[in-house]
Amino acid sequence: MIMPRGQQLLLPAKPLFIVMSLFMALLMNMLENVGLLGNAAWMPDFLALVLLFWSVHQPQRVGIGWAFILGLACDVHQVSFLGQHALAYTVQGFLATLIHRRLLWFSVPSQALQVLPLFAISHAISMVLRMSLSGSLVGWSMFFAPMIEACLWPIVSVILLAPQRRAPDPDENRPL
Amino acid sequence: MPLGTLDRTPPPFFKQGATPLHKLIFFSCLSVLIMFCDVRWQITQPLRSLFSLALAPIQWMAQQPGFLSSRVEVFLQDKGDAQEEAAVFKKQLLDQSLQASQVDQLQLENKQLRSLLELKDRVQTTGQVAQVIYDAADPFTRKVILDKGSISGIHVSSPVMDEAGVVGQVTRVYPLISEATLIIDKNHSIPVLNNRTGARGVAFGESGGAPLLELRYMAANADIQENDILSTSGVDGVYPPGVPVAKVIKIERSADSMFARILCEPLGRAQGVRHLMVLEPVGKDLPARPEMEVVKTPSRSGGR
Repeated sequence: MIMPRGQQLLLPAKPLFIVMSLFMALLMNMLENVGLLGNAAWMPDFLALVLLFWSVHQPQRVGIGWAFILGLACDVHQVSFLGQHALAYTVQGFLATLIHRRLLWFSVPSQALQVLPLFAISHAISMVLRMSLSGSLVGWSMFFAPMIEACLWPIVSVILLAPQRRAPDPDENRPL
Repeated sequence: MPLGTLDRTPPPFFKQGATPLHKLIFFSCLSVLIMFCDVRWQITQPLRSLFSLALAPIQWMAQQPGFLSSRVEVFLQDKGDAQEEAAVFKKQLLDQSLQASQVDQLQLENKQLRSLLELKDRVQTTGQVAQVIYDAADPFTRKVILDKGSISGIHVSSPVMDEAGVVGQVTRVYPLISEATLIIDKNHSIPVLNNRTGARGVAFGESGGAPLLELRYMAANADIQENDILSTSGVDGVYPPGVPVAKVIKIERSADSMFARILCEPLGRAQGVRHLMVLEPVGKDLPARPEMEVVKTPSRSGGR
């Protein structure tokens, strides 16, 4: 793969780590719902964030199919209409495959700026579906969710790429 | 450089599967189809149950920090607080035991009077206690998830109440958990009776998003006052009659509207409550609904 100049060569991603990170994202979504904040509309969707991250970085492994399945799981947990998050994540996954070759040439902060519209579209799809199906509307606080998700993009980039940034030949000076 | 540094699998030039656009079209159509089945026909319950069972262990894990913190809270609680709380409960118990001892006598008397008047026996309901696992994350609705499901014998449309009054109604049952819609949900309505005047009405969840009820379709000159208590009327065949529902807090009468805008505060605590009572639906004992007479209306296009 052609890499941007001056970037570190990354180790191959481990499939188990990808699965675990998606699982942890789902768990964190549930945690912020069950334990912390209830059903506030501005809460960031960690699952959408991690899904987008992997569909940009590993498009061969995490694609639209995974987004669809995890969206259905999210719908069942949130007792929203079955298929609402599935559609939102599917569209988001498709847009991610459109920009994934271009996005990684930018620095991480400007990546965050470029994924903001994707999160916004994903949330807008959810909102439009709810409005048309049940006529209910939540306040403006819903527009904070994509912004928070975009702000979390650099943090997620550091955490999820950390295993791939390890030294290829660990010795006693560089154990990790 | 050691082996395994780079991803050495060759990129699949020829075997890439479906293109993203095809995948997008396929999965979008599938999710729209599922959504249509869910909203229009309500036939997706098996799919929901399947996902719910798969998610159950993850949900269990997500609950653990909350349980742990509440346990730590109990552990750190002051002895004085606990004694104070115990004293309050003891006083409540005394008050209630007096009422309870009278209830037996009243029930006997009521039964005799009813048999004297040849009325049907009052519907008796049984219930079981369930715990609230979490508030549903969907910000558009007001629902809670209970920790008992069809395995424990919960039925759809069972009323849910706490010690103060009606809280909601079970709307979906999974094997291990069930989902209850609160009475403050915008799409929920409950037939009520004004305890002071005996006037019947229907209370809906307030559409503005506040945790309130709205008593709709009451005439602007109807006899209703602030602090009136509304209780279930029992005409719906879901809720047992006489359970307190809400208290009227605000009445707005405007000249340009036929109806008064009446806001009520629910008596059952909807949020922050942990244990709820799930009652058996009373509808099974009621007579069947009479057949509706179909009124034929002339069709718009063919009439002219």
